[in-house]
Amino acid sequence: MEFNRLKTLAISDSGFIFDPTSGHSFTTNATGIAIISALKTGTDPADIAHTILQKYEVSPDDAERDVGDFLNCLQKLMLI
Amino acid sequence: MHLTIAVSGINATDNPGPGTGIVRALRESALAKEVELRVIGLAYDSMEPGIYMHDIIDKSYLMPYPSTGRDSFISRLEYIHEQEHLSVIISALDAELPIFIDIADMLKKRYDIRLLIPDRTMFQLRDKTRLKELADKIGIRVPGYTVCSSRGDFTKAVESIGCPCMIKGPFYEAFKAYNAAEADEHFHKIINKWGYPVIVQAFIKGDEYNVIGCGDGKGSDLGLFAMRKMTVTGLGKVWNAVSISNKPMLDAAREMVKHLKWSGGFELEAMIDVAGDIYLIEVNPRFPAWVYMAAAAGINLPERMVRLLTGRPFDTHSDYASGKLMIRYTGEMLRDISDFEKIATAGEL
Repeated sequence: MEFNRLKTLAISDSGFIFDPTSGHSFTTNATGIAIISALKTGTDPADIAHTILQKYEVSPDDAERDVGDFLNCLQKLMLI
Repeated sequence: MHLTIAVSGINATDNPGPGTGIVRALRESALAKEVELRVIGLAYDSMEPGIYMHDIIDKSYLMPYPSTGRDSFISRLEYIHEQEHLSVIISALDAELPIFIDIADMLKKRYDIRLLIPDRTMFQLRDKTRLKELADKIGIRVPGYTVCSSRGDFTKAVESIGCPCMIKGPFYEAFKAYNAAEADEHFHKIINKWGYPVIVQAFIKGDEYNVIGCGDGKGSDLGLFAMRKMTVTGLGKVWNAVSISNKPMLDAAREMVKHLKWSGGFELEAMIDVAGDIYLIEVNPRFPAWVYMAAAAGINLPERMVRLLTGRPFDTHSDYASGKLMIRYTGEMLRDISDFEKIATAGEL
């Protein structure tokens, strides 16, 4: 997966995301912002799931699945 | 110092012309602080709103329709020039452009009235029927299309391109047809209004993107600005838009200016499909109605055009911020019926 496109996104603390190349905008929650921020720095998705596991009360399976779902969502939006 | 500029396309209606946007851009420009700007509106109908917008347009004159012939068009311009001493005309309507192309040299030589418009060759090279040729040159795609000059051609084209498809007139109007019956209906609408040719174009699923620019006639641009249409009206006119920095789109526009040695304002319309491929839809040979958006975002192309034409220094950068929203809105004015009387009877207000 290629994450360079994420580096061009303008992301505000409120979760509002603007893609200056396509002009599309999106919204996400605090976890979504954290995942995108981690992907932008090159963090491996498995490590991101581990961070979520430490931060929130979720099972390892849920954390892994949530990160996977979010990546699928980014892929569908052509952001990765 | 006085500078008098005539602007056409002041029909700020639900199918808006670019004129009032051009005038607002000029009024808010640095140029307006350097010279005493007088703006003349060239209208084709007594109810064009720009005629009544006295806060930005000093005086308006009714023009004869271009279809009435060159002589009456020239006579009217000569009369207006006698009254106003025009320095520049910014032509903003497709229908009048062929006449202005014919008489631009004469207006410059005889009256020192300057226009920055394409010549006939450039004008023809961006014609809807020759889009593939242009798209190939500037490195983008074009939706498959067939130019039809008979009913038989049309039926075959719809069959071969398939539905949904776009049915387009030679100058204006485009309709989406979901099936052959709808295509037929649109075909008749276009034929009755505009005649042949009718263009059948493959429908591209994606978003609409536009670039506005102005060419200097030597292969360079005076600045470019790109946006994505966020909402459009029932007539397909942009209502809300957001500025974007899409390099492939801007590069394509820059390449077009270079390849055609484009002279004057233009709008490049494109679709970007889900795979990210850019498809050229149309090139309009004038500033579009949303020209003010670019000016407000720092790319004031009408000002740059006037500066070039009048020998003043001008910017050519395309440095603008992405994420600037254009919000179009409706508005009302109250004027006395005597204003209407003046423009309808004397042809000027």
